[in-house]
Amino acid sequence: MAVMQRIKAVGAWLDERLQLGSTIAEVAEHPVPRSSASWWYIFGSATLVVLIMQIVTGICLATVYTPAANGAWESLIYLNYQQPLGWYIRALHGWGSNFMVALMLVHMVQVFLFGAHKYPRELTWVAGIVLLLCTLGMAFTGQVLRFDQDAYWGLGIGASIAGRSPLIGPKIVDLILGGPIIAGETLSRFFALHVFVIPGLLLAFVGLHLFLVLRLGINEWPMPGRIVTREKYRQQYKELVQRDGEPFFPFAAQKDIVFAGLIILSLVVVAAVMGPIGPGGQPDPTIIQTVPRPDFFFLWLFSVFALLPPWTETFLMLVGPPIAIGLLFAVPFLSGTGEKSWRARPFAVVIVTLILLAIGTLTWLGTYSPWSPQMEAWTEAPVPPDYLKGRTPLELQGAILIQYKQCRNCHSLGGQGGMRGPALGDTAARLTRDEIIRQIVQGGGNMPAYGKNLSPAEVNAIVAFLGTMHPANEPPARDSAKPAEPAASQ
Amino acid sequence: MIARGCRLIAIACAAVCVAGCDWMPGRPTQAEMPLRPSAITDFARLYGENCAGCHGVDGKLGPAIALNNPVYLAIVDDAAMHRVIADGTAGTAMPPFAGAQGGNLTDQQIDIVVAGIRKQWSGDKSVGAGAPPYSSNSPGDSNRGGQVYAANCASCHGADGKAGNAGSIADASFLALVSNQNLRTIVIAGRPDFGHPDWKSYSARQALTAQQVSDVVAWIAAKRPASMLSALSAAQH
Amino acid sequence: MAEQSNNDQAGSGELTSRRTFLLRVGIAINAVAVALFAIPILGYVLSPARKFVWLRWISLGPLTNFPENQTRLAEYVNPFRKPWDGETANIPCWVRHLSGGDFQVFAINCTHLGCPVRWFAESELFMCPCHGGAFYSDGRHASGPPPRPLYQYQHKIEAGQLWVRAGEMPTLGQPTA
Repeated sequence: MAVMQRIKAVGAWLDERLQLGSTIAEVAEHPVPRSSASWWYIFGSATLVVLIMQIVTGICLATVYTPAANGAWESLIYLNYQQPLGWYIRALHGWGSNFMVALMLVHMVQVFLFGAHKYPRELTWVAGIVLLLCTLGMAFTGQVLRFDQDAYWGLGIGASIAGRSPLIGPKIVDLILGGPIIAGETLSRFFALHVFVIPGLLLAFVGLHLFLVLRLGINEWPMPGRIVTREKYRQQYKELVQRDGEPFFPFAAQKDIVFAGLIILSLVVVAAVMGPIGPGGQPDPTIIQTVPRPDFFFLWLFSVFALLPPWTETFLMLVGPPIAIGLLFAVPFLSGTGEKSWRARPFAVVIVTLILLAIGTLTWLGTYSPWSPQMEAWTEAPVPPDYLKGRTPLELQGAILIQYKQCRNCHSLGGQGGMRGPALGDTAARLTRDEIIRQIVQGGGNMPAYGKNLSPAEVNAIVAFLGTMHPANEPPARDSAKPAEPAASQ
Repeated sequence: MIARGCRLIAIACAAVCVAGCDWMPGRPTQAEMPLRPSAITDFARLYGENCAGCHGVDGKLGPAIALNNPVYLAIVDDAAMHRVIADGTAGTAMPPFAGAQGGNLTDQQIDIVVAGIRKQWSGDKSVGAGAPPYSSNSPGDSNRGGQVYAANCASCHGADGKAGNAGSIADASFLALVSNQNLRTIVIAGRPDFGHPDWKSYSARQALTAQQVSDVVAWIAAKRPASMLSALSAAQH
Repeated sequence: MAEQSNNDQAGSGELTSRRTFLLRVGIAINAVAVALFAIPILGYVLSPARKFVWLRWISLGPLTNFPENQTRLAEYVNPFRKPWDGETANIPCWVRHLSGGDFQVFAINCTHLGCPVRWFAESELFMCPCHGGAFYSDGRHASGPPPRPLYQYQHKIEAGQLWVRAGEMPTLGQPTA
């Protein structure tokens, strides 16, 4: 009891000088619409909580991490294996970034569907978009700071995109890389961005975002038919809060607090169970046995770059992002008034659903990238023995050549190998012997022509082996111009 | 009561965090340490990434010769195996793996692969006792080879090697793709994984002698069309 | 501002103008000072873009490293390397020795988005692990999204060594490699 009194005394002494107590109380107890104390309104505060955790773990990492190209990777390995609990702090920071992006996206979708971006909260939305860009910027620069092969080649991809800009492309590349090629200064530049520039912007805009939320009041639960107009809305909101308001703390804040606690707990558990993300192999460009992949939240972009028709690519890479970002900023100005409730805004619901579906599908494709050759498949992916049993010596040579000529890098057999071209297991059921030969020799349909690289004997062996590739109960394909007859055994 | 419970939980949490975090499942293990490709020394990984595609997951049941074959491992010595892995076999589908030849393996890694194959798959050494030597300098006699073939091989590969249940070994394309050493190795060591006999279990029920092996290889090789013969020897220098 | 100029016009302003004189001087001084501060900072941050030619002749080693009719990986040290570049200073490239004394030296970077292409001698193709680009042995596009053939370095043979003019990451806008 005496302790409590002592604390109270110190508090009173401080408040007498700082004069903050009443301000804090005012902020904490400002009335909010009863309807906004909802489990749908907890994602913004949770994002902020994760941001604070990111700052704490980030500072911890900065005490050990070496932001120099000749020591960054080694310091990450040190963190993972030697620094006590270094692996755990890295895990918290890495998974924290995933949590933060995910929570922010949920928050954004919720805000949009609840019409919270409409008058008078347009600027809150704009600040939120800046925060989205900053967070994605943190995710990308953070991936660079995890200075491994993925980081190195990810920088290469970034530079290659920038290098497509007309006229100034090469200069932008030099600026991004801090020189003509990915090197020490590249990492230093991204370190400055990740640790100073973007966090500074992030904190400033978090401040603005929160200030606006307090100034304008939290968005009330939208009801279909309750139309927002510039003339009446503020008055209506004021009346609503007076009629049906409750103090933010603890009435609404308790849900935020519960959810924030759950988020912290899950992050702590996920980090402990999943462990740190990377680093992958040394950032040595001479190690060419590497398969660069972006982090999870950029996989959809990776898919986009693989799937865009090549002739649209440069245009869309350069024009697409500014248009997309511009549209995000423009949302509250394009639909700043009117219906708020998602129930009365079918168009908004459809757009959100389509975007989420598209990004989800692209991300899913990105996780197994069927368009990439599997560089090791030719020596790594075995031929299922069922395809080999009872085969002639020539057919076995054909099977060897299917491996040796790297066919497996793009064609799977028994579920293993590349997925760029069709699986080989039913080749003979799809193509006649002549068609197989033509496809191999001339290529086509995105397959290179192998005519110059194969001797006649090699072609014979491969075709002999592929000729066995039809399901047991299905005859080989035949030329429809010729009369059907039992295939002569060859 | 509640306060005491909270305190206990807090102490337990603290204890877990300080002492127990290193036992968490997420902690990276040494096995997850990223390695340079040239620093990989684990046989299973090297074999799996570089050999399994053609020679089979367990050294057998792949399209190329079975390494998991005690007879083969009895006749081939380490130097020969190392040479074949490092330099490949020109004119055939065995690529060179040595860095100096444009491959991805170091000399030391090739030694690890050779030693691993031998350690894992040598099996019962007596199986290969008395087998004809891996290579021979004496040219075989193809006429005598024809008799050896008729007695030992024709039952599966057909008279004159043109057909039979096991398929032709006289096919011009097939012969253009294999070296005489390939043929010799198969004749001696067989493909136990696919039921192809070795030198002592052919249909004549009598082990082939070294000379008979050379003869039958010479007989088969003589079926190689002249044009392909020159192409092959050019590839083999 | 509007109010101020109204005051000036009203003529009551000698006192006011004397009062604001110092403010104007202050703004002017600060404009100059901030410019003096900011211009060097811009120059510092933008310095990588000020240089126009990032290329130098570098040896890839003796010709004997590159057997005829083969394509081999070669490495060189970035001519603009900094002491703290570490492993990133070592840059790979593909050297193709054609029959006769002809060479082609290809950059490692795929022309699509810069990933490292790998040479497969058996199928005589360069394949890219990212978005599935493939190139023939002479660098021509074989399949996938790449918009042009592989980038090639300018090269020469001098004193029994193969030299390339290198130092810059080639991109579509600057395919100087």
